[in-house]
Amino acid sequence: MRQPISILTFAVVLIGCVACTENDKDSNEGSIKVRSTADACEVSAAEAPSGTVRFEVTNDGSEVTEFYLYGDDGLRVVGEVEDIGPGITRNLVVDVAPGDYFTACKPGMVGDGIRAPFTVTEG
Amino acid sequence: MWANFLIGLREGLEASLVVGILVAYLIKSGHRDLLPRVWAGVAFAVLVSLGAGAALTFGPRGLSFKAQETVGGTLSIVAVAFVTWMIFWMARTSRLLQGVLEGRMATAISRGGLSLVLVATLAVGREGLETALFLWAAAQATGSSTQPLVGGALGLLTAVVLGLLIHRGAVRLDLGKFFRWTGAVLVFVAAGVLAYGIHDLQEAAILPGLHSLAFDVSSAVPPSSWYGTLLKGTINFSPKTTWLELVAWFAYIVPVLTLFILALRSSPTGPSKVPPTKTANIPASAAT
Repeated sequence: MRQPISILTFAVVLIGCVACTENDKDSNEGSIKVRSTADACEVSAAEAPSGTVRFEVTNDGSEVTEFYLYGDDGLRVVGEVEDIGPGITRNLVVDVAPGDYFTACKPGMVGDGIRAPFTVTEG
Repeated sequence: MWANFLIGLREGLEASLVVGILVAYLIKSGHRDLLPRVWAGVAFAVLVSLGAGAALTFGPRGLSFKAQETVGGTLSIVAVAFVTWMIFWMARTSRLLQGVLEGRMATAISRGGLSLVLVATLAVGREGLETALFLWAAAQATGSSTQPLVGGALGLLTAVVLGLLIHRGAVRLDLGKFFRWTGAVLVFVAAGVLAYGIHDLQEAAILPGLHSLAFDVSSAVPPSSWYGTLLKGTINFSPKTTWLELVAWFAYIVPVLTLFILALRSSPTGPSKVPPTKTANIPASAAT
C-alpha cells in the first residue's frame, strides 16, 4: 500500500505548493467577469493590475465553451479553462506580469476564438 | 443539458473502459478475491478527486492554470506506464494460467496486487480532478439551473454503464480472444493518454511546440459533437494534434504493439491451442 500513498502525497504536494493562488472571496472586486455566448465574449474589464488575476467565466451559450488568456503574440497560452458547459461558471486564476494580452472565448471549443485585447498594468 | 452530458461522458469513458477490462480479467482468471483492491483504488481516486476539487472550488486557494496542466500531464504519463504494465502483466499471467505453474502464477498475481490498486487509482484519478472541478462548478450553478449538474452526472453514469456493457461482453470471450482484444484496445488507450499528457505539458509550456500542428480536422470532427466526444473519451483522439503528440503516439504504439503481438505469439492462449472452456475453468479452481 506504500506506492499509492507516495503517489498521492506527490500529487497533494504538487497541488499544495505549486498552485499557491489565492481564492479569497473577499477580493472579488479583483475578479473579472466573462460572459461567453455563441457569438460574443464580454469581458467586464479590459485591464487589470499585475499579480493574481481571476476570471469568472460564465457560459450563456448552448455549446461547451473555453476561455483563454494569450500572450502578446496571440499564441502563447498564459491560462486556459476548458469544459465550461452551458450554464456553468468556471474560474481561471493566473499570475500575470505587466504587458499586453488577449482574451478569447471559444464556443464549441474550435477555432481561434472571439478575441479582445487585454492590458495588465503595473500593480 | 446535452453539452454537459457529453462532457461527463467523455471524462468517464476511458476510466470505465480500463476498470471494466481489469475487472473482467480478474474474474476470468479466477481472482475475484483481488476485486476489492480494484474497488479500493477506484474509491480512493474518486474521494481524493472530489475532495481536492471541493477544496479548490470552495477553499481559500484555487488551482493555477499551470499547476492544473502539470498535474494532468504528469498523472497521464504515469498512468500510461501503469496501463502498459497491466497489458503485459495480463499477458504474462495468462501464460502461467495454463495450469502447470500454479505456484508461480500465485506469486505473479500477488506481486501485481499493489500495482492493481494503482492502475485503478490512476485510471480514475487521471482525469478525476478535472472532472471534479467540472462537477463542483456545475453544482455551484444549481442556484440558477440544475441542468448542468444533472447533465454532467447523467453523462458520467452513461460512461459507467457503457463500461459495464464492455465488461459483460469481454467476460463472455474465451481467454485467447479476450487477451487479443482487450490488450489491443488498451495499447491504443494508453497511446492516446500519452499524447494527451504531452498536450497538457505543452499547454503548461513545459514542453514546446503547442502551435506546430500535425493536422487539424476540427471542422470534420468537432470536439462538441457526440462522435468527437466518443473518440476523445476512448482513445483520446484530438482533432488538433501537435507534431510532438503525434511523434509520441507513434513512438509508443509501434514498439508496444510489436511486443504485445510477440507476447501473444508465444502465449499458449493463442488461437486454437487450448480449448477455451478449459482455460476458463482451471484458474477458478486454482483460486479457491
